[in-house]
Amino acid sequence: MAKILIPTPLRQYAEKNNSVEVSGSTVGEALANLTTQFPDLRKNLYNDEGKLRSFVNVYVNDEDIRYLQKDATAIADGDTISIVPSIAGGRC
Amino acid sequence: MIRVHPEPWATMVAHAEATYPNECCGAMLGSADGDDKTVTVALPLENAYTGAQEDRYEIRPEDLLRVEREARQRGLDVLGIFHSHPDCDAYFSKTDLENSCPWYSFIVLSIQKGKFHHANSWLPNAEQTKAEQEPLEY
Repeated sequence: MAKILIPTPLRQYAEKNNSVEVSGSTVGEALANLTTQFPDLRKNLYNDEGKLRSFVNVYVNDEDIRYLQKDATAIADGDTISIVPSIAGGRC
Repeated sequence: MIRVHPEPWATMVAHAEATYPNECCGAMLGSADGDDKTVTVALPLENAYTGAQEDRYEIRPEDLLRVEREARQRGLDVLGIFHSHPDCDAYFSKTDLENSCPWYSFIVLSIQKGKFHHANSWLPNAEQTKAEQEPLEY
């Protein structure tokens, strides 16, 4: 089982859990299991096309999955998955 | 409603004035009771934008990951992000909107000629198409 850390604003969609233990051998499977368990999380993480929203980054331990195998990144028991938004902006 | 305690507010204003004429950025930690948020800690972050920082800011995801971990260790919640608009009003620009995240409050500090002028808080939607103004107290 891997542990997914739930960001504060999303805990309301995960029965107020700050982390959830999930099964799965890849990040994609783990997130699918998470959103099956807590369906309200799905629309916060995925767009209507079923892709992770553009501002959602996923880390396995300290590694950004964009630089690994993305959804197919393998996970092992004891790994920690973090959901971290992309944030930028500017005055004009 | 988002309330910022005096100490984090002073940190935010000092960071925004110190980075002028560039944009600053940082994270706000505290506690939330529904939509009622209280900021007790402000963490200035490095503006990672590689171009003209007087017009843009960018937060490295790994810096936000560190912020999330620090918040958990301190028993606090990550409530929002702050950044500055040098010599501009504290609106939520198209660039702000298109690079936002609906999970957080976004406080914009207007810095005019190097000094704090006014601030607003914004709540962007998930589609990054609009942002509602959130009452702000500091």
